[in-house]
Amino acid sequence: MTTYSLDDSSVFVVIGSGAGGGVLSRELASRGHKVVCLEAGPRLTLGDIVNDETEMFNKLTWLDPRMATGKPDPRFPVWGCKTVGGTTMHWTGACPRFEPHEMRARSTYGDMPDTTLVDWPVSPEDMAPWYDKAEMRMGVTGTHGNPHLPPGNNYKVLEAGARKCGYTDMDTHNMAINSVARDGRPHCRQLGFCTSGCALGAKWSTLYTEIPAAEETGNFELRPGCMVTGLEVGEDGRIASVTYLHEGQSITQKARAVSIAGNVVETTRLLLNNRSERHPDGLANSSGLVGRNYMRHFTIQVMGVMPGKVHFYRQTHLAGVVRDERAHRPERGFAGGFLISTVPFTPEVLAKNMLVGGWGRDLTRVLDKYEYLAGMLLTGEDPPQHSNAITLHPEARDANGLPVPVIHYEDHPNTIAMKEYAWKAGRRIYEAMGAEEIVEMGDYIPATHNMGTARMGEDPKASVCTPYGRTHDVANLFVSDGSLFPTAGGCNPTLTIVALAMRQAQHIDGELRAGRL
Amino acid sequence: MVGADTHTGLARREVLRGIALGALLPALGGLAAPLHAAELDAEGPGERETSAALLRQMFPHAAFAPAFYDEMAGRYLEELAARPEALAEHRRGLALLDASYIAPFAQLPAVIQRALVARVDQEPFFTAYLMRGAELVYRDARVWDALGYEGSSVEYGGYLDRGFDDIDWLPGAGEMQ
Ligand SMILES: Cc1cc2nc3c(=O)[nH]c(=O)nc-3n(C[C@H](O)[C@H](O)[C@H](O)COP(=O)(O)OP(=O)(O)OC[C@H]3O[C@@H](n4cnc5c(N)ncnc54)[C@H](O)[C@@H]3O)c2cc1C
Ligand code: SF4
Repeated sequence: MTTYSLDDSSVFVVIGSGAGGGVLSRELASRGHKVVCLEAGPRLTLGDIVNDETEMFNKLTWLDPRMATGKPDPRFPVWGCKTVGGTTMHWTGACPRFEPHEMRARSTYGDMPDTTLVDWPVSPEDMAPWYDKAEMRMGVTGTHGNPHLPPGNNYKVLEAGARKCGYTDMDTHNMAINSVARDGRPHCRQLGFCTSGCALGAKWSTLYTEIPAAEETGNFELRPGCMVTGLEVGEDGRIASVTYLHEGQSITQKARAVSIAGNVVETTRLLLNNRSERHPDGLANSSGLVGRNYMRHFTIQVMGVMPGKVHFYRQTHLAGVVRDERAHRPERGFAGGFLISTVPFTPEVLAKNMLVGGWGRDLTRVLDKYEYLAGMLLTGEDPPQHSNAITLHPEARDANGLPVPVIHYEDHPNTIAMKEYAWKAGRRIYEAMGAEEIVEMGDYIPATHNMGTARMGEDPKASVCTPYGRTHDVANLFVSDGSLFPTAGGCNPTLTIVALAMRQAQHIDGELRAGRL
Repeated sequence: MVGADTHTGLARREVLRGIALGALLPALGGLAAPLHAAELDAEGPGERETSAALLRQMFPHAAFAPAFYDEMAGRYLEELAARPEALAEHRRGLALLDASYIAPFAQLPAVIQRALVARVDQEPFFTAYLMRGAELVYRDARVWDALGYEGSSVEYGGYLDRGFDDIDWLPGAGEMQ
């Protein structure tokens, strides 16, 4: 197994081994560059994955303290993972592309008060080949000859209802879940535990795809259990080394260049917490925008008690999608759009989510019909707001002595209008199928999609990173996660994170070869 | 929430205040526990009976026997024994229920119990018990059987050949893909 010395200043250090970090590591290593990936969490094997949500939640989830003000839960505002593979362990695998109009949000939606809407500095045409590469890499179903997953019960109800409502654009979605055996991994057997880690490895996760592939190149060293705390700037203004905590010890690794892919909250904390004379407001923060424009997508649910049994837990969590409401149609009373997909719940999580709205028969009447439930998840675009921001708590420290991140988030009126419309649209679908009772559930799930906070752009005053995710202020420092997104689009972010990381890797490769890094 | 019409929908989605939303994920129920301290009273008579009756009011299922609620209430009280502040808070809450009528709470007709519970359902002891109670009740394999949830399937090769697409009541099922 390849290892590099702490003094080796020719290594490229990647922080985080999830979607962004895992892909960037593999791409650089396979182009012959030496890569060290520092990952805060442990390295699990498929044998550690069991079909038990509680057990897996405790094994995978990032549980270090975080705080929030505004709308999110004050103590658990964000749901992500601390483990090799990052949140590609919890994720459900949906891989839609951004729509071209979403990448031109400012031009399409026009002036929206209290937002910092912009067009992406990367055009949809530039992104298209990278989306192709990302889909091929992840084996996304319904693309490049990978067959769709078969339709299951929960999706069939959604589809039938959606058709009755006049919707036409729907299928079992583009999923980074194998529908046929490929890439040395089996096809999905519909275990129905996607958010607990896929025990078969059918779902793409960097733990068993990108990381081992990077190791095979001989140019890659993964260091699990290594929580990065410091990025040291040298005389020349470049990052000279990276410091991390490993089993209670502080260790410093020299570096040629560094990329951070800590999934937005941690990426922000690392930048803001590394202040120096040259960077008094945090690394790469001369624009003052690090941590600003934090975005997430709303995730609301509608459950229907259907006239016949559904057994909605017997399949992939996200088993299909209706795309008709994704378009920008301002006559609905809001800009941008949302996706409607399926979701199941275990009795426990269903009960806990429903009891925010009441207890007693109101609750158990629905739970008694558990086998008859169909469920959908509605997620929509979130416009960037300067005031939605991640900052560091002035006093509170976690067990590592690091300042606790504080997330401030409020819904924009556009989001509130979209949610109200989305609940009604969802309700109509199950009503059309003769649902006996419909349960609307609120936007309670802690953020699973995190974006913004180090947005890319051409202007160093109005953005943190270049269109290749290189920070404007520090020549050898990159960001490789959703932090780069200038706007959020109306769809799940990971395919775009992967496509951007692949595109960034090509840029870095060129810069390294040209001696500019 | 349940049966909400489109006008009152939003309000009814959030009836209970003070529930930590993060607690809605698996395993985080503890977050809902009250944070403030309270005086520790002596154990009242019928603490377990009242706790069991309250749990049944929270999660009333005709298919579950009273003994089941009693067992789960006992587990909750055992957990509280290690957290004196939360136990004191719980006892204070039970006292509200027991003191407000002529007979102990557990012996009252269900409809009256319900009305009494409605008066305390914003109390921290209540939301803490509700959240942890949901975990205790709905994580139990007997409850899964009763509700028709089949749980882990990896050992059977998943639901692929065990009914993931067996729905038979849809109009024109099978013709839609
Ligand atoms: C339940 C759930 C379902 C989801 N479903 C979907 C879906 O269907 N489709 C979709 O597109 N997206 C989905 N997502 C979102 C998706 O998981 C993320 O977009 C994606 O994983 C982000 O990739 P990342 O590399 O930015 O971060 P992660 O994948 O979270 O990886 C970040 C890694 O960095 C590590 N790290 C952080 N800070 C440090 C540090 N200081 N030092 C060392 N290591 C550090 C973390 O431990 C972690 O392993 C879902 C998320 C959740 C929670
Ligand atoms: S449903 Fe498919 S993807 Fe999800 S956990 Fe099971 S095998 Fe993996």
